[in-house]
Amino acid sequence: MTEAAPQFISWSWIAENFSDTIVPAIIGHVYLSAVSVAIAVLISLPAGILAAKRRGLYAPITAFTGLLFTIPSLALFTILVTVPGIGIGPNAVIIALVAYSLLVLIRNVVAGLDSVPAETIDAAKGMGLTSRQILFRVELPLALPVIVAGVRIATVTVIGIATIGAYVGGGGLGTLIFDGINRNFSTMVITGAVLATALAVAADLLLLGVERYLRPWARRKQEEAA
Amino acid sequence: MIEFREVSKVYPDSDAPAVRELSFTIPDGEICVLVGPSGCGKTTTMRMVNRLIEPSSGEILIDGEPNTAMSGTELRRSIGYAIQQIGLFPHRTIAENIATVPALLNWSRDRIRSRVDELLELVGLEPDRYRDRYPAELSGGQQQRVGVARAMAADPPIMLMDEPFGAVDPITRERLQDEFLNIQQNIRKTVVFVTHDIDEAIKLGDRIAILEQGGTLARYDTPENILSEPGSEFVASFIGGDRVLKRLSLTRVGEVELEPPNGEKDLPRIDERMTLRDALSELLGRGAGKGVVTGDGGVRGAISIDAIREMFRTGETPRD
Repeated sequence: MTEAAPQFISWSWIAENFSDTIVPAIIGHVYLSAVSVAIAVLISLPAGILAAKRRGLYAPITAFTGLLFTIPSLALFTILVTVPGIGIGPNAVIIALVAYSLLVLIRNVVAGLDSVPAETIDAAKGMGLTSRQILFRVELPLALPVIVAGVRIATVTVIGIATIGAYVGGGGLGTLIFDGINRNFSTMVITGAVLATALAVAADLLLLGVERYLRPWARRKQEEAA
Repeated sequence: MIEFREVSKVYPDSDAPAVRELSFTIPDGEICVLVGPSGCGKTTTMRMVNRLIEPSSGEILIDGEPNTAMSGTELRRSIGYAIQQIGLFPHRTIAENIATVPALLNWSRDRIRSRVDELLELVGLEPDRYRDRYPAELSGGQQQRVGVARAMAADPPIMLMDEPFGAVDPITRERLQDEFLNIQQNIRKTVVFVTHDIDEAIKLGDRIAILEQGGTLARYDTPENILSEPGSEFVASFIGGDRVLKRLSLTRVGEVELEPPNGEKDLPRIDERMTLRDALSELLGRGAGKGVVTGDGGVRGAISIDAIREMFRTGETPRD
């Protein structure tokens, strides 16, 4: 009992394990989140366009993705791990993260396409643009800021949930948190938590910047008003 | 020349036709105004010309060819299109908006650039100032100018305009109408113009097609003829009780034969650019029977209330 209680934060541990433990955890986390969001976007864009054009599909699509969204994350991770061919590891985590992203992404694709003024589409059609040209040159560019706003929410959510993925061997910053809890070593827990939060905030700001960049016409108007 | 042959349109979700057996011909280089109460099918009629709406029966010929001879998109690229809500692309600059159809037609970059500048000048917007702006940075009137410029971009022989000056205040609207008439004098497009405003129809139309509820053609004639002989109860009530005065507004003082000025002092001055209607109002207001007509070169002659009445009685109010 002569030994001092463990420090709240051991800076020396951080310095010693920075390149071997912390950096790989950050990279792993970014990988998990980025791959999940990327796959989710690739699924959501066509699904959202389809739902926007064929209104009958919108309700079933959101009902299904909404159901996925309600499954508790730890439950979904552990269920996926038991599925043959998935097993322990990042794949189970990525599948779950994709599932969680679909609802918000598809909803924003549809909302973005809906926000395009009807008269803009009418004018485009009246000038002889084909439906494909209207989609790619008018509707999607105008919907893009709303779609990116959805990507922003999905990304922040995914970065948060990904920490739990470490429980099923997904890697990432959650590893630091779980290991720290097991070893009763607060430095690791705090490092993992702070970095995961910082990552979420950084991604949020980055995507906010992208959102603004994609709307030069609105930006110019705001500047003028200021 | 645009020829409607027994054109009808029945929308799938209604049993009454929106447009019923419409037959009329719009000569080249004229403005034909489609006018009527809401629900009379005037916009439907216009939109069938470039096949944004397909007729249920009948056909529309453009220069003798059915408008179904080419694909819908190809047809629409050859016809100018301007609408009340303008529908500028908010994410494209003014220059890019105007260049829409030329770009679809693969014009060269230089040709597009010079055409854009030419059009901006034509509609009274300084190219250097407005070319690179976004639509949201322009006033409503400026946006409508851009909408008209965009419709004229590829120099289409036919233009469809659905209340293109509808979304602005009355003063701006009047100015846009005047400018458009000026432009039209030089470019001589065949224009199908939709409005619910009979005054706009009378002012702009070489011919007016008055449509009745249910999409039937109540009257198709020149403003002059419609105003002097409405022909039916519906047309008379639609053009309004002041049709006599409206008729006077078709003619400007400078266009009629004036009396010689006889040197009388204290007579009201009438600008030769005033319409007969405004001149009459001015004379009545001043309590004078006669006024001195002035123009750029000074006194041009005199006009009296009696002369206006006489002109009206004999129907000698030349339009041009």
